[in-house]
Amino acid sequence: MTEKKQPSSPTQTGPVVAARHINKTYGSLRAVNNVGFSIQRGTCVAFLGPNGAGKTTVMKILYGKGEPDPRPDTYINVFGYDPRGEQLEIKQLSGVVTQEDSLDEELNVVQNLQVYSRFYGIGRRRAAARIDELLEFMELSDKKRSRIKELSGGMKRRLVMARSLLGEPSLLILDEPTTGLDPQVRQLIWDRLHMLKRTGVTILLTTHYMQEAAQLADEIVIMDHGNVLLTGPPQQLLTEQVEPFVLELKNKGLAADIEPGFGDEAVRKEEYTERILYYSHNSSMLNSLVGGLSPGEYHVRQSDLEDLFLKTTGRKLNELQ
Amino acid sequence: MNSNKPSVTSRLYAVWYRHVRVYGRNIISNGLPPFLEPLVFLVGIGMGLGAYLTKMEGVPYLEYLATGLLMTTAMFTSAFECSFGTFIRLEYEKAYDGMLAAPITVWDLLIGEILWAGTKGFFFTLAVLSVIYAFGILPVGLSLLTPFIGFFTGTMFAALSLLVTSFVKNINHFNFYFSGFISPMFFFAGVVFPVSNLPKIVHPISEALPLTHAVRLTRALSFPGEIPLLWADVAYLLLFTLLIGLAGVRRLKRRLID
Repeated sequence: MTEKKQPSSPTQTGPVVAARHINKTYGSLRAVNNVGFSIQRGTCVAFLGPNGAGKTTVMKILYGKGEPDPRPDTYINVFGYDPRGEQLEIKQLSGVVTQEDSLDEELNVVQNLQVYSRFYGIGRRRAAARIDELLEFMELSDKKRSRIKELSGGMKRRLVMARSLLGEPSLLILDEPTTGLDPQVRQLIWDRLHMLKRTGVTILLTTHYMQEAAQLADEIVIMDHGNVLLTGPPQQLLTEQVEPFVLELKNKGLAADIEPGFGDEAVRKEEYTERILYYSHNSSMLNSLVGGLSPGEYHVRQSDLEDLFLKTTGRKLNELQ
Repeated sequence: MNSNKPSVTSRLYAVWYRHVRVYGRNIISNGLPPFLEPLVFLVGIGMGLGAYLTKMEGVPYLEYLATGLLMTTAMFTSAFECSFGTFIRLEYEKAYDGMLAAPITVWDLLIGEILWAGTKGFFFTLAVLSVIYAFGILPVGLSLLTPFIGFFTGTMFAALSLLVTSFVKNINHFNFYFSGFISPMFFFAGVVFPVSNLPKIVHPISEALPLTHAVRLTRALSFPGEIPLLWADVAYLLLFTLLIGLAGVRRLKRRLID
């Protein structure tokens, strides 16, 4: 088979993934609207957004599982390949963890991996060594002969991750890798992703967990309704976009006692049915105002990615959530 | 960095191998019925009813029926595999979503599926053939080649079933396919009695049915010299598989790629 292009070599600089003007329409629904981004080698980029924001669709388009709307200005480049026509080259260099586990229930743990090692063209002997290594890496060695039904949700997820690593990928595409998992498993997966990143693997993930993005991502992309709303390093975005301190009032009724104390200070107010959040740059002011309240009635804290996320995407539920 | 993508054959083999491994896990429950079903038919109909019948198309009835069953077995196994089986992998198990994340294309995936159904057709035919030989119904001979016809019958019904599956939104709709098309072929494709016994007006319908041609080829190999081999039947099998398979894969691709 003749190769048209050589994939960019590991030493080469420039982005591993570059995309511009990705659009995807399902009937009248604009699932992805003119999305563009680029990912540097060895970094981790997290796509954040509510359900239905278009994150998964973008991931699928990158490895050819989805097709973007045919438009002349759409540009997608993964390792120098275009997924529209060169999906095999891309998938050979990538590991994908889909949102659903899709394991073969009839087979046990090691057989699941044996079957998939064939897809990457790995011979029997090399596969056996690679599988042992990956089971060890994902702490599944003692489950080698277990049936899939006997595995917990966290074990299944780890197995799918091991499966995605069979081909020694340079790029990992992870669609909600830790959704629904307990904190222990989540920590283990984060730990492994850090290890992989250190060895130069580029990671692209979608998540609902702000902590996950803060833990792993060098850069976050916040999406909503198919649009990219914000892009940048999480810490920088946080400082630029959100006031550093928050006063949470658990009971709206207390607002009348607090609000006169703001004086001339700029305070941003987010009102929920029961609670009110006040965002401000002045922590001492916020602290001085709550003196008369009992501890259970309020909470003064630093703002975090969750606040950024809610500010950017709005706090009302959309029709897909 | 490993940038050499696997070749087409390696990709097709990987898909086929996946099915072999998954199917092989329950080899007893999956593999025993193909021996038992034709046995029941041969004893029940062949020996029971067949005692009242003499010859069909110049062939003793038991032999006539047995050779027809070689192909119905291949037909049923591959039709089930690529209708219910494919639908479950597609909609319930999401097995294809996982497989398509690996370096294979939709074409690899579905052609591998058709080849796997052909393989099942081969082995199911071989299973029935060994029952036929064990009972001494046919002498060992050219009929040893019938599993290869079973393979092509398997791929033919796999192609057709994939096309049907591409239209199906609810798994229960396959009942229409089986009750309305697959099962009636038992009677209209010359399995239990010759097509020529049917009213003249039905003949063109019989000739259009895929099973008719598979059964005729099988009999040509089972009774060499008595029943002629028609190259038109060979052409029908191959062309049907190619054209219907092409349509099926194209339509299913739209369901597999978002």
